[in-house]
Amino acid sequence: MKRFLADLHIHTVLSPCASDDMTPPAIVRAAIDKGLAMIAICDHNSSGNVTAVTEAAGNDIAVIAGMEIATAEEVHVVGLFSNVEAASAVSEKVRQSLPRLKDVSRASDRQQFVDAQGRVLGAETRMLAAASRFGLGDAVRMIKGHDGIAVAAHVDRPSFSVLSQLGMFPEAAGFDAIEASATAALSRLAEFASLGLPIIASSDAHSPSDVGTRWTAFEMLDGSFGELVLALRGAMGRRCCRA
Amino acid sequence: MKLNEIARRLELENITPELATEESVDVAAGHASDLLSDVLANAPKGGVLVTIQVHLNVIAVSVHAGVAAVIFASARVPEESVRTRAVEEGIQLYTSKQSTFDVVGQLYTLGLRGSHGLRGSHE
Repeated sequence: MKRFLADLHIHTVLSPCASDDMTPPAIVRAAIDKGLAMIAICDHNSSGNVTAVTEAAGNDIAVIAGMEIATAEEVHVVGLFSNVEAASAVSEKVRQSLPRLKDVSRASDRQQFVDAQGRVLGAETRMLAAASRFGLGDAVRMIKGHDGIAVAAHVDRPSFSVLSQLGMFPEAAGFDAIEASATAALSRLAEFASLGLPIIASSDAHSPSDVGTRWTAFEMLDGSFGELVLALRGAMGRRCCRA
Repeated sequence: MKLNEIARRLELENITPELATEESVDVAAGHASDLLSDVLANAPKGGVLVTIQVHLNVIAVSVHAGVAAVIFASARVPEESVRTRAVEEGIQLYTSKQSTFDVVGQLYTLGLRGSHGLRGSHE
């Protein structure tokens, strides 16, 4: 088994709230600097820049295709997928349910599709910061229907988390894992241990300096999605160990 | 004021008619929020909740907070599983075509108060 430090929640310039320097080369450089061997790209309601970051990473680090869906209840759910096609299929369904941006030229609404070098290819015209029309149960089912894994994002945070929006952890929702944010206190995490789900820690990086500020160590054979799933389940000798 | 009187005055639709509690439950307080963590922390016991949140957890949180009835505003209608759970828990559910703002305004006019207003009246 090999030990992989993974930060499984990183935004790019596609997310309206991410900084302009969250380009694929900058993200990959920051990840390598922090000693990460695996990252997941999870923009709000879109997987549009996953391919660019995967290309930029080459063979240096593993890139997992992901997205952070905002459900109708405004709960953030991270979906991680085995390949970009599966992520794109979900991304397109979510996109169709998002409102159109009235003014795409506003700086704060910039949602850029970029290539592996970070050159701007175009802009998303739907409002990625909005809630999709998919309820929590439907969003989790949709992720799993595309063989993905569903992670309750930043459960310790006072906004857009399952607890802030829904008051209690919805055990029937079918989450595969729980994500602690970069600022989560260990005492808060103890509350979630009783749910019996693996707890990972991710940075939810919106700027290059955030990348790798929180990570999870996975012991597995390689940096593939299949190994990640086994490690989350603690199956076949693989395991995950929160930072 | 009795729930059935509130429902009549605000032209609410009762979506849990199998509960026979409508005429017997008196409410004097209420809370409006879509963040269920806030409902859990701040809704007055025995009051009415006005929300556009239709997730099943509305019922679970209402049980914990002791909410007597929920009014879903802006024509939001919860799924059948939510309705069934509410009936099991004895929580009366209503829907309104009006927005939260308009529903709450009318409830206030009828004399209902939020938890802060209730506290104030004791001082």
